[in-house]
Amino acid sequence: MDYQSATTPTSATAASPTGGPASKARAAIVALSSIVTAIPPSLSSSENPALALLHDPDVASQVSSLLRRPDSGSGDDNLCRWLYDTFHSGDPDLHLAVLRYVPTVAGVYLSRASQRKPHAGFECVLLAIYAHVTTARGGQSVTVTLPDVSHPSVYHETRDNSAKSIATDLNLAVVSPSLEPHGTVRSSRRSRIVGVALELYHSRIAQMPVGSKIDFCEFCVVWSGLTGDSYKDDSEEIYGGGDANPSRIEGQGTRSGRIPMPWELLQPVLRILGHCILAPAPAKEKEPLDAAAAAACRSLHARSLHDIDPKAILATGSLLRLRKIGLDSGQEVGSD
Amino acid sequence: MPRNQSSEFSEHGDDSSVREVHANGLCMKTTEVEAKLDEGNILEAESSLREGLSLNFEEARALLGRLEYQRGNVEGALRVFEGIDLQAAIQRLQPFAAEKQTSRKSRSRTESPHVVSQHAASLVLEAIYLKAKSLQKLGRLSEAANECKSVLDAVERIFHQGIPDVQVDNKLQETVSHAVELLPELWKQAGCYPEAMLSYRRALLSQWNLDNDCCARIQKAFAVFLLYSGVEAGPPSLAVQVDGSYVPKNNLEEAILLLLILMRKFSLGIVQWDPSVMEHLTFALSLCSQTSVLAKQVEEIMPGVYHRIDRWNTLALCYSGAGQNRVALNLLRKSLHKHERPDDLTALLLAAKICSDDSLLAAEGVGYAQRAITTASKGVEEHLKGVGLRVQGLCLGKQAKISSSDFERSHLQSEALKSLEAALVLEPNNTDLIFELGVQYAEHRNLDAALRFAKLFVDATGGSLLKGWRLLALVLSAQQRFSEAEVVTDAALDETAKWEQGPLLRLKAKLRISQSLPLDAIDTYKYLLALVQAQRKSFGPVRSISQAEDDKDNEFEVWHGLANLYSGLSHWKDAEICLAKARESKAYSAEALQTEGIMHEKRGQIHEALSAYINALLLEPCYVPCKILISGLLLKMGPAALPVARGLLADALRIEPTNRLAWYYLGLVHKDDGRMADATDCFQAASMLEESDPVESFSSAV
Repeated sequence: MDYQSATTPTSATAASPTGGPASKARAAIVALSSIVTAIPPSLSSSENPALALLHDPDVASQVSSLLRRPDSGSGDDNLCRWLYDTFHSGDPDLHLAVLRYVPTVAGVYLSRASQRKPHAGFECVLLAIYAHVTTARGGQSVTVTLPDVSHPSVYHETRDNSAKSIATDLNLAVVSPSLEPHGTVRSSRRSRIVGVALELYHSRIAQMPVGSKIDFCEFCVVWSGLTGDSYKDDSEEIYGGGDANPSRIEGQGTRSGRIPMPWELLQPVLRILGHCILAPAPAKEKEPLDAAAAAACRSLHARSLHDIDPKAILATGSLLRLRKIGLDSGQEVGSD
Repeated sequence: MPRNQSSEFSEHGDDSSVREVHANGLCMKTTEVEAKLDEGNILEAESSLREGLSLNFEEARALLGRLEYQRGNVEGALRVFEGIDLQAAIQRLQPFAAEKQTSRKSRSRTESPHVVSQHAASLVLEAIYLKAKSLQKLGRLSEAANECKSVLDAVERIFHQGIPDVQVDNKLQETVSHAVELLPELWKQAGCYPEAMLSYRRALLSQWNLDNDCCARIQKAFAVFLLYSGVEAGPPSLAVQVDGSYVPKNNLEEAILLLLILMRKFSLGIVQWDPSVMEHLTFALSLCSQTSVLAKQVEEIMPGVYHRIDRWNTLALCYSGAGQNRVALNLLRKSLHKHERPDDLTALLLAAKICSDDSLLAAEGVGYAQRAITTASKGVEEHLKGVGLRVQGLCLGKQAKISSSDFERSHLQSEALKSLEAALVLEPNNTDLIFELGVQYAEHRNLDAALRFAKLFVDATGGSLLKGWRLLALVLSAQQRFSEAEVVTDAALDETAKWEQGPLLRLKAKLRISQSLPLDAIDTYKYLLALVQAQRKSFGPVRSISQAEDDKDNEFEVWHGLANLYSGLSHWKDAEICLAKARESKAYSAEALQTEGIMHEKRGQIHEALSAYINALLLEPCYVPCKILISGLLLKMGPAALPVARGLLADALRIEPTNRLAWYYLGLVHKDDGRMADATDCFQAASMLEESDPVESFSSAV
């Protein structure tokens, strides 16, 4: 399962002396062309082949469907090997081209984790990303010092100068705990490793193509195991068509793919979801993403109620209400 | 504002359908100009304005552009604006600024050249602003942003010291405020997020003399952008950092700071309440697991904003999220009162869940759960019925633990199982539920069912949760399948990172003792001890209090386990050393006193043993093992002590109805008292239970 020891054609070409970013990317595209059926020739000839690769919808759909095949993710999966090698190329743009598939890799992998089949391919990709983050952070935790507004800050002054001493209780919140290196995926660390991969995905999310975000939202629904239909804000829809549908309960509870969602996984998921619902985006991307994100949010809200998890209830509930406020006020942005 | 020397466009003639342009005390009907524009003749329109209102070229053009813009003819407006060399016009405004600097001391409001210049500035800047707006409407967003930016650059060049409060006319201030607010929006729409970030900071950190509402709108928009855009801003530049003031160091901190400032403005009444600010703050603080800070914010919201029930329920979620379940429950009791909102599903479920953690509250929890089930069955949130059944089962199971009669207890237990099974029908994939069924069956000593659910849980979670492995091993140990239990424990150890292996290793040691492999058990304990000490060293002295407590607990458990082991082997010296070590991490412990007592008892020191047991009970009045041990000693003291022993054992069985030793000793008491039938029953119970004792209590798996 260790790809590092294996010499692959890709790593050989990537290490060739002419290895500028563009040639690394071209090498990655050549390697990929032996795995997927068709790669548009325009990719290699483009000025920034890595970004062209990132944004090409054809390649994305081919790769995604390969990742979703029943036998995907094994130790000898060429595509996983390609993702692993490409991630290790060290080129930031190629990193993005790999991170683009994090939702699909994580989604398929977690949904199958209960099947006890080895998924060394997926695990290697996720571990590579985890190791990258661990190194980048030096294993340190990510914390947030919550401000106390009775003290002045760059954005405000306080009249009360007597409270100048900073030594009041600033709350220190741990957003992401410290990381220890992992050479394998122990199942008790699985959620954390995937969660850290999602944290990295979130930190690059502004550069991700919309298709990747939609993939992510769809997996949220699968993971939650619930449809969350009763949280559609279009209340007529619920009362109108809902009662006549006795199969609703089955739809709510019996989806396979439901996974345990501890906070270490749920927290990065919610951060990404917040982006999908509330980040600025061009109109043509906004619409399909918004639908998928809203469905994901409803599902996770339903799930948080099933788990009676107060933090998740608060976070998902506020996302749903914010979306509703946004819809009610119409196009608030851009017209004044 | 008085209509003055410079230009002032007014539409107050709208009602009478006559609109006019005013400038320099002169006045023209807009229709005349517009007619010329409609013919496409910009030059003529311009010259008629220049003549009619005695304006210069730029001013006339600016006015024309505005006219077009306000008529909705965006392209026309843009054509007009493009005809003006706005940069040159700005250049010409510079001397005015310089002069202003020098004449600062002797300024007076009526000094006419200044005012005139200001109006010229106002007109030109507005023209650029409107040009930006026109470009925005035509979708040329980066150009629009650049134009808009040039407004701000110009203002900064003209007013070096920031915009003075008293000196600026309203029109100019309005244009500036609009431009400040528009710029980040334009960058956002153009997809230039780093520029948007900079322009937000520029808006909020420079002196633009913005009014409160405008400033609040920008602060909120920036907070939203920081929270969701996914673009890391980095800390603000050193130039704006003042000594002693709080400087946010990442997006989340900056967003939370801005939202908290907005909340403060709401409570001071400076700006109007905006519900979305609270929602953004809720999202941000929940993600940081800081719901106690959120609770404080909710408490500070002025009355009348939220309905009191919504406030109670939100607060309950906040406090429960921060681990303060008792506070949460008190709030929920208020909101679920029959005069308030007794059918709120989320509140009912949360209340029942909180009650299910405490035997003394369990009965109350059953009530909430039942109401939740009823409400869910008839409402739109029918999918929550299974959740209601689940918490009802948990509450019933907990209630059974303190029930005083056998009959009631077994009734409650079977009701609990029924409820959980009913929930499972609705939610067959809910892993938590599967685990809870496993524990419930195990405590009910239905070990086959418990084993099935424990296995199912380990499979369904892919072995990712330690508690599943532990439950499986414990159930196997209760079935006396110790070697299999050890195999499971080893598998669990493989799946667990080093620092979390402590509880599993303890279990493994106990399993080895049960298999009469004391030397192997000692090896395991030694390894565990090394692990605990390495852990303490590797994290250094700066660990949180709770972690330090955990370490102490771990270390105590290890030494105490070893003491028991050596005492079982009659290695008194070693046992005493281990016991002393255990007491270093935990001075007052019923478990340690129990071990001490057993050691005395084995060596025939009955009085010392008895006093150790009694001390243990003084520390923990409900400590069952010592109650049983005291009864055992009393039994040997003759018939007079029998009633006391019987009382203690009855007490022990009330607390732990499945305690095999308690039944056994109670049988002995009955036998000594000559009640043979009772004694037989007790022995029978003890022998049945013997085959189902786990090496650690099942509830320790939870």
